[in-house]
Amino acid sequence: MTAPEEAVPRPNATPPLPIRLRPARPADVPALVGLMLRLKRLNEEFDPLLKVRDDAEAQARSVLEANLGDPKAVVLAAEGVGAEKEKVVGFVRALVRERPFYSPEWEGVIVDIYLLPLYRRRGVGEYVLREATAALKGKGAGVVTAEFPAQNEIASRFYAKRGFRPITAVHARSL
Amino acid sequence: MRPEVRGGTVRHLPNSANDCIQGLIDEGPLDARMADGTAASPEGARPGRRRGASEVAAARRSEAETDALGRRAVELSRFYSGKIETVPKVPVRSLGDFALWYTPGVAEVSRAIHANASLSFELTGRWNTIAIVTDGSRVLGLGDIGAEAALPVMEGKALLFKWLGGVDAVPLPISVETPDAFIETVARLAPSFGGINLEDIASPKCFGILEELQKRLPIPVWHDDQLGTAASTIAGVLNALELTHRSVKSVRTVLLGAGAANLVTARLLLTLGHDPHRLSLVDQRGILHAERDDVDELMLRNPWKYRLALRTNGGERSGGLAEAVAGADLLLAASTPDPNTIRPEHVRAMAPEPIVFALANPVPEIWPEVATGAGASIVATGRSDFPNQVNNSLIFPAVFRGVLDARARSIPDEIVLEAARELARHAKDRGLSPHHLLPTMEESEVFPHVAAAVADASVRLGIARRPLSHDEYLERARALMGRPGRLVHALARARLTPPMPRPSARPPTRKRS
Repeated sequence: MTAPEEAVPRPNATPPLPIRLRPARPADVPALVGLMLRLKRLNEEFDPLLKVRDDAEAQARSVLEANLGDPKAVVLAAEGVGAEKEKVVGFVRALVRERPFYSPEWEGVIVDIYLLPLYRRRGVGEYVLREATAALKGKGAGVVTAEFPAQNEIASRFYAKRGFRPITAVHARSL
Repeated sequence: MRPEVRGGTVRHLPNSANDCIQGLIDEGPLDARMADGTAASPEGARPGRRRGASEVAAARRSEAETDALGRRAVELSRFYSGKIETVPKVPVRSLGDFALWYTPGVAEVSRAIHANASLSFELTGRWNTIAIVTDGSRVLGLGDIGAEAALPVMEGKALLFKWLGGVDAVPLPISVETPDAFIETVARLAPSFGGINLEDIASPKCFGILEELQKRLPIPVWHDDQLGTAASTIAGVLNALELTHRSVKSVRTVLLGAGAANLVTARLLLTLGHDPHRLSLVDQRGILHAERDDVDELMLRNPWKYRLALRTNGGERSGGLAEAVAGADLLLAASTPDPNTIRPEHVRAMAPEPIVFALANPVPEIWPEVATGAGASIVATGRSDFPNQVNNSLIFPAVFRGVLDARARSIPDEIVLEAARELARHAKDRGLSPHHLLPTMEESEVFPHVAAAVADASVRLGIARRPLSHDEYLERARALMGRPGRLVHALARARLTPPMPRPSARPPTRKRS
């Protein structure tokens, strides 16, 4: 038996996403540099061997500029919706790398995902990961991986929930 | 106008429990000339306005009194060797009575509790006993001084709990390295107590410790630096809004300082219906907002502040205090004891009839006369020598009396707000004015009323193990709160508490050039 009120179809409870993804453009670079620095500073919180360099801003700019013209790189910009349509509020950057010894041969590596705090949750991360994965697949990747600080438990949980598992580990000690 | 600063009183302790301590100290005025008066910041430091002579005097007196009181406190601590002791509450006619109070009789009491653990609240002193637990990581203004050094402060707090609330409080500084160890230790101690008062724990770890213990323990857990200060602030805010015909739902508020007290004050204001977009927190790095550079660091290290960064400020203001206060109705400062923290131009930039709470101790963020001179309609501080003292001592003894009498399982925010509302109501009944926003410590009738209001709220919320009527709670609170005074006086009359020795000769004063 179904209660009458349950029989009434409910409006879709999922709120619309507060962002929209599109390929990044050269004009986005200044905003993307700021977001990339935020991400690197967040990484710094997890390990002293991830200390952000003084010239990180210039480095971020040149890395992004190189990636924007690289057919093996994916850089998607997240912009707000409605009144915030012009604002870049996040990004994802991924690279397609060759694996000379293993199959599948091409690996799509998500190296940076960052969203400003107000644009997180509500399925936004899921959407960004899905779009990045699709773009990597379009560039020939047969496996998708993600790089992030080992101590970042939030990222570990995020990826584990979406079927990712650790396949290689990078261990470090300072010299 | 503000009253004259009286000598010989303890007014500037950071816990603001001054007047009640004063009731225990019976001695003449301390000589303000003992210190050389360097406490006050240089007169005329602010261009355009000279500080009133009385404020300079107050600042100098403050430092002089603090020095003198410190010396006297050490002297008396040595004389009395501590402030509290365990006193039997049952008759002992002969050693034979120990067959009842101890073995073999007591075994039956244990068996009863073993069969029904809640009987520990009936058959032992648990119903009225709390632990005052600290790791000594942020003691008064002294910083991380460790467990042993925190003990005199916790003893003092225990004395206050007994004197004002009739609560038996056990000082328990513990030696722990991590928040998890703190939580584990307190959780293991809980069976001995009816409630836990956390004290002087550094921010932000105090938030996680309180949250986790509140979740885990079946007894009320309170952190006075968060909840007590926030509740008395909210009480003052409610009455200040009433006096100036404003509603909490439509005011613009700036909180200066984002430590233990103000983060909770912000949370409580939002619970009361304050529009989060019209509320801004300001700390050393400026206005807290969702896109501030350090917001990810806050996410990892201070999620309580992070959550407020995401909710408040409406994403529209950035900058510092000057940008935050433009058009604000309320400025609630719990930040740095420096009278130049808030400048007259900050007050002038606020909305008409601005309300300023400058709660840093011992020196407020702006002197009340300066704030009033810049247009503030209502000013509150943490000090008893100015009108409108925001004082957590008006809250914590009564809150514990209330939750212990109701045998409440917890202290949710609704109870904190109820204590604030009752405090506000009491001041209102006596007649609100810009100089009488809150009850003073002399208005001792407020304590049992706040206790009864807290107990009633526990019943309403369904967390009281022992629901009674309002009148029963009130009567009980009056009786239990009245007892310690009689006890202390009886002990003094019987010479079991020796009278206070006269102060020893003054140490030589510094030579003046």
